[in-house]
Amino acid sequence: MHVDYFNCVKKNNMGRMGLILLVIISTIAIFAPLLTFYHPAETSPNTLQFPSAKHPLGTNDIGQDILSRVLYGARTTLVVAFLVGITSTLLSAFLGGTAALFGGLYERIVMRIADVFLTLPSILVIILITSYVRPGLLMLVIVISAFSWQGGARVIRAQTLSLKNKAHIAAARTFGAGNLYILRKHILPDLGPLMVAGFVQHARRAVFMEAGLAFLGICDPTTVSWGIMLNRALEFAYLNVWYWLLPPGLALSLTVLSFTFLGYALEETVNPRLRVKENA
Amino acid sequence: MKKKALDYLLAFIIIISLNFLLPRLLPGDPLAAIYGEEALIAMTSELEAELIERFGLDKSLPEQFIIYLSSLLKADLGYSYYYETSVTKLILGALPWTLLLVGLGLVLSTLLGFILGLESGWNRGRWQDKGILTGLMLLNGFPDFFIGILLLLVFAVSLGIFPLSGALTPYTGLSGFALVRDILWHLSLPLAAVVLSEITASYLLTRTTVITILGEPFILTARAKGLKDTAIRYRHVGKNSLLPILTRTGIRVGRIFAGAIFIEIVFAYPGLGVLIFNSLMARDYPVLQGIFLLVAIGVLATNFIVDLLYKKIDPRVV
Repeated sequence: MHVDYFNCVKKNNMGRMGLILLVIISTIAIFAPLLTFYHPAETSPNTLQFPSAKHPLGTNDIGQDILSRVLYGARTTLVVAFLVGITSTLLSAFLGGTAALFGGLYERIVMRIADVFLTLPSILVIILITSYVRPGLLMLVIVISAFSWQGGARVIRAQTLSLKNKAHIAAARTFGAGNLYILRKHILPDLGPLMVAGFVQHARRAVFMEAGLAFLGICDPTTVSWGIMLNRALEFAYLNVWYWLLPPGLALSLTVLSFTFLGYALEETVNPRLRVKENA
Repeated sequence: MKKKALDYLLAFIIIISLNFLLPRLLPGDPLAAIYGEEALIAMTSELEAELIERFGLDKSLPEQFIIYLSSLLKADLGYSYYYETSVTKLILGALPWTLLLVGLGLVLSTLLGFILGLESGWNRGRWQDKGILTGLMLLNGFPDFFIGILLLLVFAVSLGIFPLSGALTPYTGLSGFALVRDILWHLSLPLAAVVLSEITASYLLTRTTVITILGEPFILTARAKGLKDTAIRYRHVGKNSLLPILTRTGIRVGRIFAGAIFIEIVFAYPGLGVLIFNSLMARDYPVLQGIFLLVAIGVLATNFIVDLLYKKIDPRVV
């Protein structure tokens, strides 16, 4: 399976839309300081102001500029999404791959752990754990990843099992290659498409999770996060503060959508049966 | 099946152990972690001595675990110092509202998703299909609580058709039909939010199944017999696409519960979600633990029952 991801995604309408959205959001995250005059944490006596030329999206209850908080919020979201995506993808590739290669008791233990975790309602478990730990960003990434790798590990294991018996692997073995060498040189590269698809799915879930946990108020309150903004703004919903509620919510939805679309496009490249014939 | 049952048993053990170990192993005062910060304010030295005695905090971990298990068996989930009442009572007070929301949400979202999926799969590639598919994919990108916030802003804050919060109009002394109407009126927005955020899952599943089934020989036979389109669509295709929906119900129950927690918070709907939210704020750990235990067990049990049912309904499954 050697796939030209960029071309596949580019050819697909949904993929193109997802990619464009993600590029826009990333650009905003990187250049946030250039796009606004205010620091997101800077408070002012002008509280709860309606959008104006000075504050395009108004101000919140402690006089912070809402626009700058929305722009900077992209950073938190994307950092968490990216880190969780990487961590859980690597975890699932490593655990699924080694389980298939080594087999035996090790495989049974890893896959049993994956199955058991899949039966747990993971959002609830994460809420419970984080309510005790009150995590910073890094801890948040670790906790979310710990509950994300299981599905991916099963897919990777299945794929590795089928790769394991291919002729080129057998050839490598006759040259004396060890398990880990085979994993690194022959299996991981062939797992590429699955891992890219997995990365997008994990990243999407992480965006949801981070926002959800922040919305519940379980995270460092000084973080600039869309979830926290929604949580705070909701208390003032009766004042019809749509300019405070809608922007972070829409930003969040667009980010999730970009990953959904990308995932959908990649799914088609990974699973050729879903591919629509081009000249049909 | 044996393997599945063992999975559930292990998951159950993990849940109990998490509940037991989290407050005791984390750094800091275990008493505060078990009983929440509110308890420390009310704490006297006698109370402290009593609580240490009650949980056996001066004993070894295995002994503490046995004490923990035996109090669970007595349905004693602890005492909330924030609400000044027993956790069991608190949960029982909130549970009916959540069950109402989750139950109706599950039924309605499955039903609507099923119908839309059937129509969409039947018309695959045509404009109806593309329209529904795109619409629901867009909807799927909206986090559940944001859907709730949108409904709240439009229908409650701006238009004022529905109430802002709560499950009942307080102090009206309504009864009978008027009470039911009042409850439904308060329920409509949260329920709509749950349905809208959950509909995509059952829709996509039905659509895929319908497309697969349409290729089967028995559909061709039905057509050759000259059956009407609607008969084929509902009786042949529809009935046969119910199976995967049933299997997924177990997984969806967990998701809907989680979604309902967030949506309840948006509408201050007095179910478990709001209870969780307030307990998180007050660090009222006994309540959090109690709800977690209850919901986790509920979700596991549903999954298990669905697995059993599935075997009964579809004899092809071993």
